[in-house]
Amino acid sequence: MSNQTVSRPGTERPTGAATRVKAKARPADRIFLGLSTGSAALIMVILAAVALFLIIQAAPAIAQNWSTSSDLSKGPTEGHANFWVYVLPLIWGTLWSSAIALVISAPIAIGIALFISHYAPRRLAGALGYLVDLLAAVPSIIFGLWGIFVIRPFLKPLEVWLNTHLNWFPLFSGPATSTGSTIFAGSVVLAVMILPIITSISREIFLQTPRLHEEAALALGATKWEMIRYAVFPYARSGVISAILLGLGRALGETMAIALIVSPSLIFSLKLFTDSANPQTIAANLALNFPESDQLQRQALIGTGLMLFVISLAVNFIARGIITRTGPNSKRGTRRIKRLGTPADTQSVATASESPVAALRHEDESTETDGSPA
Amino acid sequence: MNIKRLSAIAAVVGAGALILAGCSTTGTDGSSSKPSSTPTDTAVTGPKVDSSLSGTITAGGSSAQANAETAWTAAFQGTQASGVTVNYDKSQGSGGGVTNWLNGSYDFAGSDAALNATQLASAKTLCTGGDPVDIPAYLSGVAIIFHLDGVTSLNLSSATIAKIFTLQIKTWDDAAIKADNPNATLPSTPITVVTRSDGSGTTANFTKYLHDTQPSIFTQTVGTAWPVAGTSGQQGGSGVVNAVAAGAGTIGYADQSSIGSTTAASVSGSGKDFVKYSAEGATEAFDSAASVEAQGTGDLTEVVDYSKITGTSAYPIPLLSYVITCTVHKDATQGKLTQAYLGYVLSTQGQQVGSKNAGAAPLPTSVLKLAQKTIATIK
Repeated sequence: MSNQTVSRPGTERPTGAATRVKAKARPADRIFLGLSTGSAALIMVILAAVALFLIIQAAPAIAQNWSTSSDLSKGPTEGHANFWVYVLPLIWGTLWSSAIALVISAPIAIGIALFISHYAPRRLAGALGYLVDLLAAVPSIIFGLWGIFVIRPFLKPLEVWLNTHLNWFPLFSGPATSTGSTIFAGSVVLAVMILPIITSISREIFLQTPRLHEEAALALGATKWEMIRYAVFPYARSGVISAILLGLGRALGETMAIALIVSPSLIFSLKLFTDSANPQTIAANLALNFPESDQLQRQALIGTGLMLFVISLAVNFIARGIITRTGPNSKRGTRRIKRLGTPADTQSVATASESPVAALRHEDESTETDGSPA
Repeated sequence: MNIKRLSAIAAVVGAGALILAGCSTTGTDGSSSKPSSTPTDTAVTGPKVDSSLSGTITAGGSSAQANAETAWTAAFQGTQASGVTVNYDKSQGSGGGVTNWLNGSYDFAGSDAALNATQLASAKTLCTGGDPVDIPAYLSGVAIIFHLDGVTSLNLSSATIAKIFTLQIKTWDDAAIKADNPNATLPSTPITVVTRSDGSGTTANFTKYLHDTQPSIFTQTVGTAWPVAGTSGQQGGSGVVNAVAAGAGTIGYADQSSIGSTTAASVSGSGKDFVKYSAEGATEAFDSAASVEAQGTGDLTEVVDYSKITGTSAYPIPLLSYVITCTVHKDATQGKLTQAYLGYVLSTQGQQVGSKNAGAAPLPTSVLKLAQKTIATIK
């Protein structure tokens, strides 16, 4: 607030900055340009190669009539009329287990991120942030084994209790588990696995909230919670959404933990606490059945992998799209955030119109439009 | 996999007395007239191994025989030729092992099922100048393990097992289980059936036993994927063993060599006796019930006729795994290495090493003799 140079993402850039300054190119420049362009191109080539491999490998199995094929009518692919009948329950299982994991993980991750960025003393925040990042370094096989030996027996009494007493509720119905290998146990472990991703991205976004907004809120008498609610959250919303989507991307492809923990069936099911009615995920199904499958069955499994590839790609595209279109560093960032923030907050602001926070919002907008510091 | 086909053959063979005729046309002499007692006579040895032999054998496949492969490799290096390395990749599974072998990346494959017709056709191209051969190498038993508080031993007839695993018997105090165990106090705990969620040779051997002994109860297909929905599926033999041990009222099946301290039931096959697993029992059962159905020259594809397992100590659910290779290798050095190694594996000494260090059951001497005949032709 000290002078005119308070820069804020989204406000106008200094004149001329939009046009690039042409520097004189020396050989080193050209070499570096070539190298970095090559690296960038390589990513596209790798992605295209993977997609091509999946499509070429999967095509024969997808095209087959499964009930008449001698290879596909037995083993892991037995009893399915065609590829789509086989892959749909798997897609359901993948989405369902990831969704449960997100519901558990997202609130906790946002809470941790907020604690680190706004509540914890600096030293503790650093250590905590480091610990959360460390969680991301644990191999998934370790999470799987931890799930078998710790989480399964730990959750079992709760699962059985809910199943016995609230059996009328669809999610809790079905025969109670006796081995603990439920999709709920798998998703809890999955939630722990995606926690570090959501936490660290959210933390970074929270930290980027302009001090100006926060200080203004506090100066106007907002409590810390009100400050977070009206200054931090609207600013960070899109970033947090994309963090959650990136976490979802991770959860969709997780293999070992699910394969080890969950007792799978190829079905559509919502039941959380049974041994016999857990939908299987694409990645775990691939890992479990690939070794003993023959040529055509493997191609069918690769076909399911292609579906997973498409789903993950879509999720990542959406996440990136939200970041680039509404993220704090985009050109239209600030405005978009405000627009995003407004509708949801309308009621709450209306009821609290007397509060200083409401005033803050007007203040905030006015500083925005005329570009002068408050 | 050709387990299904094999089971069909086995069923036909079991129904009539066609087995003798079937074998006499195979050209693998003597297999049908195996002695029914466990042979303890002469020790079978492989081809003489030059101790200066060195090189690397690349192989892989069935995880069932992986521990035995490790034991064989160590013993082969220790007693035969220290310069020979054997890389056996168990992560592939039987299907992957055969696929990689057909691609030419392996010197031999480990597989819980013999080659099927399609695989045999491509194998003939691979083994130009020779023949593809299935050689039985690893024998064990499928154990029926359970965990039920207050019950430390259990007898289960094949009919009861088939009913439990097809989920027709739901509680432990069912009349059928009581009939098998008149003196036991059985609680009314619900039964949780634990099976394999991944494709497995153990499942193939177990479903074949269920199908052949109780075709009217177990009507599902025989194969590497567990066919009955509604069970608790776990990854790997160790996953099943762990889930059975950790649960209450659980029952599952696993390779005998991997069950650890879990309690295994005594089971019956076609006979009336309840037999507890022993390595000798598995050997005896295999000796009395298995016969060669050769798919080509030197091939030793075994067909188990469960109705012949009637001995009072013969364990009714044997588990068999093969090594698959060519009699003529493209690279003569690799042929020599493979011959030396497999010769050791299928010797009396090799089988004892597998039994002692990997919990396998030694193959009957008659089978080893036949195997050595085939191995002698490998080059």
